Amino acid sequence: MSEVATVLQLHDLDLLLNEALDPKSRARLKKLGFEVQDPVVLQRARARLLQGVDRRWVNHYERALKRYGRAVAVVRDRVCQGCFITLPTSASPNAQESLTVCESCGRILYWR
Amino acid sequence: MTLSLGPSVLDSSLYIADLRPKRKESALADLVSRAHEAGAVREPSLLRETLELRERLGTTAIGKGVALPHARSIAVIEPRLMVARSRRGIDWGAADGLPVQLVLLALSPPEHSEEIHHEFVARAVAVARLQRNRQKLIEAPSFEAVAAVLREVSG
Ligand SMILES: [Zn+2]
Repeated sequence: MSEVATVLQLHDLDLLLNEALDPKSRARLKKLGFEVQDPVVLQRARARLLQGVDRRWVNHYERALKRYGRAVAVVRDRVCQGCFITLPTSASPNAQESLTVCESCGRILYWR
Repeated sequence: MTLSLGPSVLDSSLYIADLRPKRKESALADLVSRAHEAGAVREPSLLRETLELRERLGTTAIGKGVALPHARSIAVIEPRLMVARSRRGIDWGAADGLPVQLVLLALSPPEHSEEIHHEFVARAVAVARLQRNRQKLIEAPSFEAVAAVLREVSG
C-alpha cells in the first residue's frame, strides 16, 4: 500500500476509533442495536498502519490529529478544506503517491 | 442539521435489487463497487477496508434479516443511503442467526460530525425496525417504490 493510501486508511480508522472509545458514542450505537466490541482490534490495526509510514509523516499526522481531531484535509479546486487557504501551485504533489502537508494549517493534504 | 431519507441521499443507481454474494465481505465489496461506479465514492478500496474494520468491531446486522453497515470516510463525497436486497440471504453474523435479506448502507463524508452521522444511521434503523417497513422494502418492485417507502416512513 502506498503511503498516501496508508494515511487515508489511518484517517478513517481514527474516526472509527474515536467512536469506539467515546462512551457516549458507544452507548448511542448500542442503543441502535449495533455491536461495539473492545476497540483493541482497531488499535492493533492502527499500530500496523503506522509502521508503513515514514516517521516524519507520522509526526505531522499525529500533531494535526491532536490539534484538529482529523489529520487529513481534502483539497478542492486548490483550496485546503481544513483551513480554506488557496494553495500555491508549488504545493501540489509531484507524484500521485507522495504526501504533502498544508503550509498554513499543518494538515496532511488529500488531492483528488 | 438532520438528514432525511429523501432524494438528497438516495440515488437509483445505488439500488441493488439482488445482491448475489453469500458472504458479507463480498456483499460489501459489491456495494462499494456500485457506489464507485455511480460516482458517489472515490478510493473504493479504502471504503471497503473501513467498512470491514467497522464489522471487526462488531457486526452491523441488527437482527430480523437486516444489516446496516455504515461509515464516515474520506472516500465518501456526499451522504448516501444505499439499499440492497438479497434473495438467498447473506451471513452477516447476526445475533439472531438469521441471514440478511435487506442491507441499508449509510455513508457519510468526514466533514459530517459523528452526531450527524449517527442521526443519519438512526433514521435508517428506525425504518428497518418496523416489520411492515421491512416487508415493504423487501417486496418493493423498483427503486421508486423503495424511495417512496423511505420517504413516507422517515418523514
Ligand atoms: Zn490547510
